[in-house]
Order: sequence, then C-alpha cells, then structure tokens
Amino acid sequence: MKTTLKSNFCIAGVIWLLSASAFSQSIEGPSFEDLLAGFSDPSRWLTYSGDYSGTRHSPLTQISPTNVEELRPVWTFQSGTTTRGRGWETTPLLDDGVLYVTGSNNLAWALDARTGRSFWQYRRNLPDDLTYGASAPVNRGFGMLGNQLFMVTLDAHLMSFDRRTGEVLWERELADYQIGYSATMAPLIVGNKVIVGISGGEYQTRGFIDAFDPVSGERIWRFNTIPGPGEPGSETWPNDPQILAQGGGGTWMNGSYDPDLNLIYWGVGNPNPDYYDENRPGDNLYTDSIVALDANTGELRWHYQFTPHDVNDWDSNHMPVLANIDWEGEPRRVVMVGNRNGFFYVLDRVTGEFLLGEPFTATTWAREIGDDGRPIIVNDGSLGCLPDPWGSTNFYPPTFFPGLDLFILTARETCATYVPELPANTRGQSNFGGTVFIDAEQGYGALRALDIHTGDLEWEFTYPSPTFGGVMSTASGLVFAGDHEGNFMAFSAATGENLWHYQTGTRIWGAAAITYMLDGLQYVLIPSGTTLTAFATRMP
Amino acid sequence: MGLFLLSHHKFFVILSSLNLRIIKRIVKFIHLPKRFYFLANCLLSLFLMSEFTSAQEVNPLAADSRAARAGGSIFRAQCATCHGADAKGIQSIEAPDLTLMFTRSESTDASVFQVIREGIPGSIMPPHAFPDAEIWMLVSYLRSVAIAGTSAQIDGDPRRGMTLFNLNCSRCHRVDNLGGSLGPDLSTITNRRSQGALTNSIRNPSAVIARRYKPVTLVTEDNGRIQGTVKSEDAFSIQIMDSNQVLRGFRKSSLQEVIHEEISLMPSFTESVLSGDDIDDVLRFLQSAR
Repeated sequence: MKTTLKSNFCIAGVIWLLSASAFSQSIEGPSFEDLLAGFSDPSRWLTYSGDYSGTRHSPLTQISPTNVEELRPVWTFQSGTTTRGRGWETTPLLDDGVLYVTGSNNLAWALDARTGRSFWQYRRNLPDDLTYGASAPVNRGFGMLGNQLFMVTLDAHLMSFDRRTGEVLWERELADYQIGYSATMAPLIVGNKVIVGISGGEYQTRGFIDAFDPVSGERIWRFNTIPGPGEPGSETWPNDPQILAQGGGGTWMNGSYDPDLNLIYWGVGNPNPDYYDENRPGDNLYTDSIVALDANTGELRWHYQFTPHDVNDWDSNHMPVLANIDWEGEPRRVVMVGNRNGFFYVLDRVTGEFLLGEPFTATTWAREIGDDGRPIIVNDGSLGCLPDPWGSTNFYPPTFFPGLDLFILTARETCATYVPELPANTRGQSNFGGTVFIDAEQGYGALRALDIHTGDLEWEFTYPSPTFGGVMSTASGLVFAGDHEGNFMAFSAATGENLWHYQTGTRIWGAAAITYMLDGLQYVLIPSGTTLTAFATRMP
Repeated sequence: MGLFLLSHHKFFVILSSLNLRIIKRIVKFIHLPKRFYFLANCLLSLFLMSEFTSAQEVNPLAADSRAARAGGSIFRAQCATCHGADAKGIQSIEAPDLTLMFTRSESTDASVFQVIREGIPGSIMPPHAFPDAEIWMLVSYLRSVAIAGTSAQIDGDPRRGMTLFNLNCSRCHRVDNLGGSLGPDLSTITNRRSQGALTNSIRNPSAVIARRYKPVTLVTEDNGRIQGTVKSEDAFSIQIMDSNQVLRGFRKSSLQEVIHEEISLMPSFTESVLSGDDIDDVLRFLQSAR
C-alpha cells in the first residue's frame, strides 16, 4: 500500500509520543528499571524493602551518629482510623514527594511527604464475615509500577489502583476468603509481574505464590507451597489428598529478588494444623522453608526447610536478605535469614547450599544444625519451655550492614508450653490444634547484632518486653528500630549504643522505618499505631 | 405457631388483653373489619414477644453439666490464642483476664454472649459466627472458671475488723473511698480472692504481688533512694507511685540504678501483730463492706 511522506511523519510522530521515553519519569511513575536501581535515587522508596536485596540498608549519610540527637518530629499523619490491637505493619512507598501508604482494614492513602497531608483516601467495603482477615486486619504496603499501585485485601483479592486518584483499575480474587484465606503482604513487582502471597495457615488452606500481569490482571503463574498428590515433595506428607488440600504453608510476607539469577526468594509458613501433628507425619514440605523460584515461570529452583515437621507455628515468612560477601576466603552470593525458630542462617542463594545456622536466642529447642542442614532437636517441649509461637523473631524486617558484616534483628526471648489437641477442622474456623501457655514474666526482647560469618552476638540492646518492631540501617553508621513500648530509636551500628529515642505513644508493631531525601533534608519515617511520623534534624 | 402460643400462653394472654385495647384504638381510624381483630392481636403479640425472646437473658444450657466442658474445648481452640489457655489473658496484646469478668465488671450471661457474638468494635476482639448453642457453651465454661472470691460468710466481727483495718491497713489501702492508694483498693476484694489467699497476702505479702504494685527502688544521681510501685516502664523511662503516694515519672538517664525488688512494700503481719482471729475480723469487715 502506498503511503505519503506526510502520513509517514504522522505515524512516526504517534509512535514517538507513545514511547515511554517521551515523557518525564514523574508523570509515568517508576519503571522496572527504576525498581532495579533501588537506593541510587534517594528521593524514592519504591518497594517494601527499598530495593530488591532485602537488606534495608540506605546509602544516606546526612543523619549521622554526630547529629542524630537533633532528630525531631516534622509532621504526624493521624489516619483517624482504629485497628484491632496490632497497629500498622505497613511500609509507605515514596515517589516524587508523594507517600503511598496502606493501613488496617484495607484503608489506603496518598500523602504529601512534605506535610503528611492527604491527596486521596481509599476505603474498601469488606464483607462482614471475614475469617482470618477479621482477627488480623493488617496490610504491609503497596506495590508500585508506573502509575499503578497494587494492594492485596483481607477478603483475599488483589487490587490495582491509579496512583493519582486511588481509583480502582481492576481486582482479582486470589482465593475464597470464606475458607479461611486472607491477604496482607506488600506485593513485589518483578519485571512485568505483580507477585503476591496468601495468608491463612491457621485455617484449612493451601498456600501459594501468584504472579499477575499488571495491565490485564490475568494470572501468569502460580507456585503451590504444598505439593499436590504425586508431585515432588508430596512424599513428605501422608498419601491423602484431603490433608494436602489444607496443608497450610502461607506466603504472607514480601520476598527478595536477584536480577542476575532471575530468582525470587520467598518465605513459607506453618503446616496446618499448627500444633496437632498426628495426621501429617513427615517433613511437610515446603512449610517453614525458603523457596527460590524462577521469576518468569514460578518453577522451584531450590528450597531449604528451617523447621521440618513444625509443631510450634514457626512460620518462616521472613525477609530473605541477599548479599555478596566473602565466605571462607571466596566471594559468595548468599541469602541470610533470621528465623522464627531462633536460628540465624546463611545459605548460598544460587544453589541453596547450607553454610551456617547458629542460635541467636537462649532457646533450648535446638542448639545446632547438623551437616545435613537439619536442626538437632534437644528439647521437644518435654524438657522445659520453648520459644512461644510468635517466635524468636517474626516477619518484621531485619537489616544487613555491609561495612560491619552485621545482621541486625529484633529478637524475642519467651517461654511457652504447647499442648496439642485434635482440632474440629471446621471450614472457615481457625484450626490451631491445641493451646499454648505463655509465661509472660520470663519474656523480654532485644535488638541484636550478629556477626554474619559466625552468628556470634556482637552487641545487643534489651527491651522490657518481647518486641515486634522492624529494623533499618543507614550507611552513616546508624540503626533505626522500634519497640513494644512505643519507642522509636537510633543506635550506633558499630556498638549498639542508643543515640536517640522518641516515644511515639503506642507499640511499634511489625513496621520498620524508611528514609529518604526531600528538598535537601533527610527524613526518617515510622508508623506507630495508626499514625505516621516523619523526623529530620531540623525543621524544613 | 400453635405450639409457640401454648409454650408462652401466660405471656400471650396478658399481651392479648392489652393488645385488644391498642388495636381497638387503632382501628377507630382504620376501618378494619372486626374479624381481623384476632389476627392483628396474634401478630402484635408475636412481634412484641419476639423482641424479648431474641435477646435471651439467661443461658439455656446453664443446667447442662456437659456445657462447660464442651465450652472449654471451644475456648481452647478459638479463644486461647488471645485470652490464654487458662483464660487469664495475655497482657502484651491487651487481651483481658476473663476469670475476673463476672465479678469485676459485673457481666451477665447475656452481655458475655453478645460480646462473643458481636465482638468489640475498634478492639482486637472480633465477632464470631458460631451457632448460638456453642456460644452458650462458652458462657458456661467462662462461668466455670470465674473467680468465685470468698463465697461463704467469714466467721468474724466486722466492727472489730474495721478498727483493726483503720489501724493497720488504711494508710495504704482504700475501702469505700476511705484510705490510701499505695496498695490496691480493697472495697470488693472478697469478690475475687478466697479467704485463704487473702490470709496469705496478709501474712506473706511478697509471695504474690499484684501487677501494678510491683516494688521498685530508684537510685538517683546523688545516691538518694526512692521507693515505690511501678505503674509503667519502658527502655528509657519509669513511672511510679512513690511511698508518699505521689505519682512520679523518671527518665532512666537521670537515675543511677533501677532495682526491681522481690520484697513487697507491704509489711508482713505475723501472728504477734495480727492473730488468726484478728485477720478473720478484718476479712469479715472487708466482706461486709462490698
């Protein structure tokens, strides 16, 4: 077909206009390349961990050990909402001066990062017969790609929003909430995929990790954390499809991503029922494991199981922390995990090879990992108390400080006795399978810094009670953490000395700080209760 | 409907006669044929009775000895994660001790049923969709583990007890708005502690110290010592009532040491100070004061 020169120009012009590079980044929103760039643009916090490594270690140095005592609150956003008990576990995302934050009960906001004032608010009409979502109405944050935000909901849906208005673009059901499913994690964007996980390990559910197309909302792949009958891993369960169909294995935390290997790393939760194990002999793969999946296909590359045949509800839904370090004289690509079972692990993240497993608490459950990578259990509970079901640490992020080779996490020292009981196994009702007696008098918490090569404790700061706060570090040599009494604190990363603290008024639960530059000033931001507070060393 | 009417016939008869007057007044304005009076009467009665019977006041399983045990199983499966396996609560998530529910907050079977069914909005307590019968089993169980206090009347002289109380106890303890605040208010203590436990608390106060009355000694920068009870504490501060019954808050950075003591601030009353009969008199006084 003959075309004129003029129409060629028109066509070329249209193609040019449609190409992304024609527009400035702030109008388009972050691309996958921007997410890969991680912390190199310090005015942004584009994913739950700040970047794909899960180290939560910012390169910013304006706030330093010498001036951190000048930190003062610049603004507070009070959401005006209530939440059941736990408080916000969320990480806000920041791009171009706008914070995108999710709260409890699937409320969400876009806020001005300079003042905390709101651009828009979103509220979902949740059904009044939520199952797991009723007792844990939390959300850990958005995923962001382009002008889209992604959030999972307590009725187990995935939603996509226009980030400029909070308008819903599409939503998809992940699973039937009436069985016991919920969803609470911050989605992970990898390439052109939105990757999400599911909650419900205390109900008759079967865990999975899903990848969705951000534009169409179609599911691209699903990885099941509990194998189907005959599938690899099913030999670690009884030969019973009904048991497998409700094996648990929730995937309710964010994951990490290695772009060179194109692998995503994800934690898997407890088998179901949590404490009653008579009907599920075997290791129960892949519960309480870390799995490495091919990001394109969701295929399993390798796994490592931290707690085979768990009877203590020690989910392994932790941030996998990726680092390239020296290991016994050789460069090694590793993944590090502080686990609910009280052990700190270093694994080779290419192959899953076990490199180190050392306890970071006083647990009597086990004190060493054998050469086969399995814990050598010395106390199954009959020889005294064990860490409680909420564990020696939990989902709240740790941080890795590369210059000091320190893995810094919030630890809980607790004393519990487990009494299993045959559960009723009723659809839509929680199915723990027993009860736990917790000795509150003996519980306390601590911020602990571990030498990554040995697991040795380098320093600690103790808290009066077992704490659920996350940790962040900055290259200037600071560690930021929150405790159960509401203190938001800064510590010297080298010594653990407390350098600054601020009483936020209620427990810091499950949340870790973020930090960013705005108008030449470095801010640190922490959720507490249903409130966000931004700190800087001077008023802007 | 016939069976329903028969089972509630007394109520129905009373209502019916009232209704008839109401209906007659209404039908003056609406020209309703007389043959509809009976139907209107029935419907009105049913409506009024349903308002009463849907909010059942008393546990229908109260007389069934199996209900408490069944309720215990349900409790351990569904409630213990937050309220503790022994129903005594989990402080760190502010889930209350349910064994004090019927005495301290004067809950009833119906109010407990409602809280389980509907939850407490804005709190960690969610609603529950269990069948009614299962919630009543839970109520039975909670009744069975409720702290009974001192049920039997103590054999003592309450007036003599009051004199002894004023002499030995009222500096620190309050009863019916008279007395001090260093120790717990004892106005209704016999509702929730047994005679044996209370006697032990007087003889051996350090054995069991109530949560908000834990003793502490603060050593100040100039080596002064302040004694008191801990109201609240975190990594950087402590809030106490001192031994002069004054509320004081301290930054730990201004203190040399914070010593959590084992020995209660309450003195131990031995036989030579208070005989067994003396204690019975005091406890009888406390029992009669409630």
